[in-house]
Amino acid sequence: MAEALLSADGITVRFGGLIAVDAVELEVRERELLGVIGPNGAGKTTFFHALSGVLRPTAGRLRLDGEDVTGRPAHVFATRGVARTFQTPRVFRDMTAEQNVRFGLEFAGRARTHPHDAFDDARSILGFLGLEDVAGVAAGTLTPSRQRLLEIGMALGARPRVLLLDEVAAGLTEAEVDATVGLIRRVRDELGLAVIWIEHAVRALLSCVERVAVLHQGRKIADGLPEMVARDPAVVEAYLGEAGV
Amino acid sequence: MSFWLELIASGLITGGIYAVVAIGLNLQYGLMRIMNISHGEFLMLGAYLTWLAQTVLNVNPLVFLPVVAAVLFLAGLGVYRLCFRKIARTAPSVEIIEARSLLVSFGLMFLVQNTAYLVFGADLRGYSFLDEPVEIGPARFTANRLVVFGFAVGASLVLLAVLRFTLVGKAVRAMMQSPTGAQLVGIDTAVLHPVVFGVGLALAGVAGALLSMVYEISPAMGEPYTVSALIVITLGGLGSAAGALVGGILLGVVEAFGMHFTSPSLKMLLSYGVFIAVLLARPKGLFAR
Amino acid sequence: MKPGHALVAILAAALAAAPWMLSDFMLSLVLTCLMYAGLTVTWAMFSGATNYLSLASAAFFGIGAYVTAWGFGTLPYAVVVPLGGVAAAAFATLIGAAVLHLRGAYFAVLTFGLGELVRHAITYFEKSYAHTVGRVIAEPPESTTVYLTVLAIAALAVWACVAVRRSRFGLALAGIGADEERAQTLGVNTRRTKIAGFALSAFFAGALGAAMAVRWTYIEPNSVFNPFIGFQTVLIAMVGGAHTLIGPLVSTVVFSLLTEFLRLQFPYLFLILLGLLLILLVLYLPGGLASLWPALRARIAALGARLAALEGGARG
Repeated sequence: MAEALLSADGITVRFGGLIAVDAVELEVRERELLGVIGPNGAGKTTFFHALSGVLRPTAGRLRLDGEDVTGRPAHVFATRGVARTFQTPRVFRDMTAEQNVRFGLEFAGRARTHPHDAFDDARSILGFLGLEDVAGVAAGTLTPSRQRLLEIGMALGARPRVLLLDEVAAGLTEAEVDATVGLIRRVRDELGLAVIWIEHAVRALLSCVERVAVLHQGRKIADGLPEMVARDPAVVEAYLGEAGV
Repeated sequence: MSFWLELIASGLITGGIYAVVAIGLNLQYGLMRIMNISHGEFLMLGAYLTWLAQTVLNVNPLVFLPVVAAVLFLAGLGVYRLCFRKIARTAPSVEIIEARSLLVSFGLMFLVQNTAYLVFGADLRGYSFLDEPVEIGPARFTANRLVVFGFAVGASLVLLAVLRFTLVGKAVRAMMQSPTGAQLVGIDTAVLHPVVFGVGLALAGVAGALLSMVYEISPAMGEPYTVSALIVITLGGLGSAAGALVGGILLGVVEAFGMHFTSPSLKMLLSYGVFIAVLLARPKGLFAR
Repeated sequence: MKPGHALVAILAAALAAAPWMLSDFMLSLVLTCLMYAGLTVTWAMFSGATNYLSLASAAFFGIGAYVTAWGFGTLPYAVVVPLGGVAAAAFATLIGAAVLHLRGAYFAVLTFGLGELVRHAITYFEKSYAHTVGRVIAEPPESTTVYLTVLAIAALAVWACVAVRRSRFGLALAGIGADEERAQTLGVNTRRTKIAGFALSAFFAGALGAAMAVRWTYIEPNSVFNPFIGFQTVLIAMVGGAHTLIGPLVSTVVFSLLTEFLRLQFPYLFLILLGLLLILLVLYLPGGLASLWPALRARIAALGARLAALEGGARG
C-alpha cells in the first residue's frame, strides 16, 4: 500500500462559534483520483482552504509526503507540491494567459523537480489545455469557461503533485462537462498527478473518480468506491432535499 | 492617591476622544471600506467652528455641539457624494476601493488642512470655557475636562445603543457583516452609505468641538487623531463599535501612564509600540469576532 | 545601439554636464527634479506594483537626512549617503515585518504616522541625549558634488526599477498587487517579497535624504520630516501612472517646475490645488496619464493607417 501523498488528520476549522469542518480525515495517494462531494454548506471549499494552506486549521494535522506542514503559510504548500483552483476563477486579469501560467512556473514550479515533469514552459501547458490561441490575450478578457481552464493552467504551472480542483464543472453544458472530465483524467494519466476534485455535478464526478469522500455539515460521512458511496443510506439521506443527484 | 486618579482621569479623557473618533472611522471603514485618512481634518473643522461660534457669536460651546454635529453631518453627505460615491460604484474590487479612497482622502487631507491654514492662519487659537477646578474625592479636575469626558463617553454610548437597538443600527451592522445579504433584504445602500459617512464625520466634528473646550487648536491638530483612531480600531477589532470604545479608552490610559513615566514626546512611539505588540499577540485585534 | 538606449545615453550625458552649463537657479531646479525622480520611481516600484500604498517616504527621507546630520564630518559624504539608505532600509524592514501582513489600508495609514513618529523620536533623542535642537553642517561638500551624487542615485534608482520589472522579484510584486492570496498559492513568499520591496524603495528615499541634507545648513526635525515630500511623491507617481516607469519620470519634470515656481509664492493655495488634483485624478483617471498612452497610441496608429490608405488610394 503506497504511502499517502497528502493526508489530513482530524482537520477542524472553526469560525467563532461555527464549525465549518469537523475532524475530517482524508488521505490521497500518488496518482489517485479522489472526488469530494456533499450538499451545499458541507464545508468542502473550507476544507480545500485548509488543505492548501490558505486557512490555518483550528485543530488537526496536515502531512505532505510525511512532512508535517500544518500551520505553514500557503506558499510552503505550493512549493511542496499542492496546487489549487478557486471556485470563482482568480486569474491575474491584466496579465496575458501565458504570463498567468508562467507565474506558477516561476515560483512554486521552480522549487519542484518532478520525475513526471511533462511541461517545460507555459506554452506547453496552454497547449495541453487547448488555450494556445489565447496565449497573448489578457486573462481578464477571456470567457468564464476559458478562465476556468486558465485557472487549471496556473495550478499546473506550479508543477504540483496534488491538484485540488474546486467545482471546475459548475455551470457548464453537458458537452463541456464531458470535456472537463476527460481533461481531469488526462491530468492524472498523462501528468501523473493526484487529483482531489470537489464537484456539484455529482454524476460526472462519480463516473470519473476512483474513490469519493462525502462531506455533510463539516463531517465526513462516507469514503470509498463510487458505487458503494452512491448507495450508502447516510449519503442518500444527506442529499434528500438536494434536487437532482 | 489623588495624583494617580488625575493621571487615570487624563488618560480617560483622551481615551474618550479617541473612542469617539475611532467609532466614526470604524463605521466608515467597516461598512464601506473607505479608509478616510482625512478624518482628523474634520475633527479640526469641528474645533474651529466651535471656536468661531464662541469668540465671534459668544455661543456656549456645549449648546453649539448639536450644530457642529449637524454641519459636519451635512458636510459628510457632500464629501461622500463628491469624493467617494464614484469609487464605490466603479471599483472592481474591495482592495481597489480601499486604495482609491485612501488616495482621495489623502488629497482631501491636504486640501482641508491647507484651507484652514489659509483662512485661519497657523497660530494657535483658543478660548476658555469652564476652567474652574472641581473636586471629586481627593482629586481635582478642571470642569471642562469632566464635561469633555462625559460627552465623549455619552456620545459613544448613544451610538452603541443606536447600533444595537434601532432598526437603522441593525441595518448598518447587517451590512457590515454581509453587504449582499443586506441588499437582498431591501436595505438601500444608496441612502445608508452617505448617511453613515455623514455620521462618522459628525462624530469627528463633535470630538473636535469637545477638544476645543480644553486645548488650543491649530490646523494641524487633527492628523494624529486619525492615526490613533486606526490604532484603536485595530485594537478593538474592525467593525466593533464597542471594541472601539473600550480600545480608545484603553489606549488613552496607557498613553497617559506611558507619557508620565517616559516623556510626552514619546506618545506616538508608545501608541505604535502598543499597537505592534497587540498585533503580534493577537493579529485580529483584542475583541475581534 | 537601439534608439531608446541612445536617447538615454544622450540624456545622461546632458545631465552630467549640467553643473558646468546651467545657472545656479536652473541647476537647483534640475536637482529637485532628480530627487523626485528617484523618489517617485522607487515608490512606484513597490507601492504601484503591490498596491500597498506607502506614505512613509518622508520618514525614510528624514532618516537619511539625519544620518548625514550625525555622521557627516566624521565620515565622508560618499559614506553617509549609502549609509542613510541602509538606515532607512533597516527601519523599513523592521516596520515592514510588523505591519505588512495587515490590509493595505491599515498599512497606508500606519506608514503615514511613521513620519510623525520618527520626527518625535528624533526630537526627543536630540533634546535629551544630544542636548540640541538642530544641527549645523559645518563644511558642506561643493554643490557640484551634491548634484552628481543625486544624479547617480537617481540613475541607480531608475536602473533598479528597470531591473526589478524584468526580474522574478518584479513578477512577484505584480502578482501580489493583482491577487495576493492567489500569488501565495502559486508559491510566492509574499511576506518576504513585500518586506524586500518596501526596504528597497526605502533605501533610495534614505540615500536621497542623506544626499540632499547638506543643502540645508541647519538641520532640524521639523524641516527635514516634511509630509509634503511624501505627498508630492505619491501625487507625482499617481499622475504619471503608478504602474509604469516612464509615467512618474515625465510627471516629475512637470511637477518640479510647478513646485519651484508656485510653492513659495502661494504656499497654502498651492497645496490646496494639489490636494484637489489628487482627488480628481484618482476619481477620473486612476491609471494616471500613462493610462492615456495606449489609447493615444491607438489613435495615432489609426490615423497613420488612414493616411496610408489615402495615399494608396491617391496613387492607385
